[in-house]
Amino acid sequence: MVTEAPDLHPILALDRTVHEPARLAILTVLAAAEEVEFLFLQRVTGLSKGNLSSHTQKLEAAGYLETAKAFRGRIPVTSFRITPEGRLALAAYHQQLRALLPGEKTP
Amino acid sequence: MTDAQLSKLDALTRDYAAFQSRKSGLATALGGLMACLLFWVALQPQVFGVRILQRPAMEAFLLVPFLWLLLKSLLARMLYRGLGTVKAQPDLAYERRLGRWSYGLALFLMGCLGAALYGFVSGMFQAAKPAVCQLPGDSPLSHPWAWLIWLPLAYLAPVPWAIRGIEEARAYAVLVGQCMLWLTEPFFFSFSANPPLGTVPAAMLVAGALGFVLLVGGILAWGALAMIRGWREHRDYLALLQGLPQEPVSG
Repeated sequence: MVTEAPDLHPILALDRTVHEPARLAILTVLAAAEEVEFLFLQRVTGLSKGNLSSHTQKLEAAGYLETAKAFRGRIPVTSFRITPEGRLALAAYHQQLRALLPGEKTP
Repeated sequence: MTDAQLSKLDALTRDYAAFQSRKSGLATALGGLMACLLFWVALQPQVFGVRILQRPAMEAFLLVPFLWLLLKSLLARMLYRGLGTVKAQPDLAYERRLGRWSYGLALFLMGCLGAALYGFVSGMFQAAKPAVCQLPGDSPLSHPWAWLIWLPLAYLAPVPWAIRGIEEARAYAVLVGQCMLWLTEPFFFSFSANPPLGTVPAAMLVAGALGFVLLVGGILAWGALAMIRGWREHRDYLALLQGLPQEPVSG
């Protein structure tokens, strides 16, 4: 009896930029609001400043978020906003994951 | 990262953002309290030796909603922005609900104001008819109580700010309380021993009394609801803060 090799294509096709847990958390938070400040993103995801900066840079490079830097008085404030591409990527990722679950079918 | 964790992140973000758009927490409770106090003060002939229902105390009370808006902004900054600004996404269902409430309230106030104004003006012209026809110098506008006629203008001028306050915090009670100040005076005039407006028709007296009772009920109900809702929102916010991760994680 020969065991058939599982089809790994759907898993390999997952967007790895979104698949990483910290980046998935960041995109989830950004998708729930119009604009989010760095401090809130840091507290709500529980990431350290360095980690958060690194992940947001990767997401920005992928075109999934936009960064805005401003000053409130003398304090620099960094805000993030999810782009339409980021929203699409997040939705597509959720759809792909659901399709991978047994008994689930892609709509 | 599980589905439940992602849902929690989504809910935390939406809840926090709501405190920067439609929820005001303790400011809403304060609005309710201030509206009830306005109502109580309007019923007092004297507070600390000052006659409330006369100028300039009356004009000072018209500034109460502005004071509330100022305190609301300060409270929002001090209590609900500790983790920075998060702009909420527009909530269309909420906007529609708010629109319906605002229109309903506006119609209710217009009805009450219209009835009070009609009773007031009809009584005034009954009393001053000969003077109006013969002596322009002794017209109703020259009477000592004629400043009441200008009060609607004093009421309408700050309404845009009050509406802004409603949009932000849904504290309708503040606007109703403000309106109350204007209505109380004509109402008591109509019951005084020598009403300066002449004889008020009995039907108008009944309508005025009914409107007064409705307003009293409305103010107390709105004030109480605003206090309860504001306190509940504040507790929700504290629970939200407790739900956040305490230690940074690597990842």
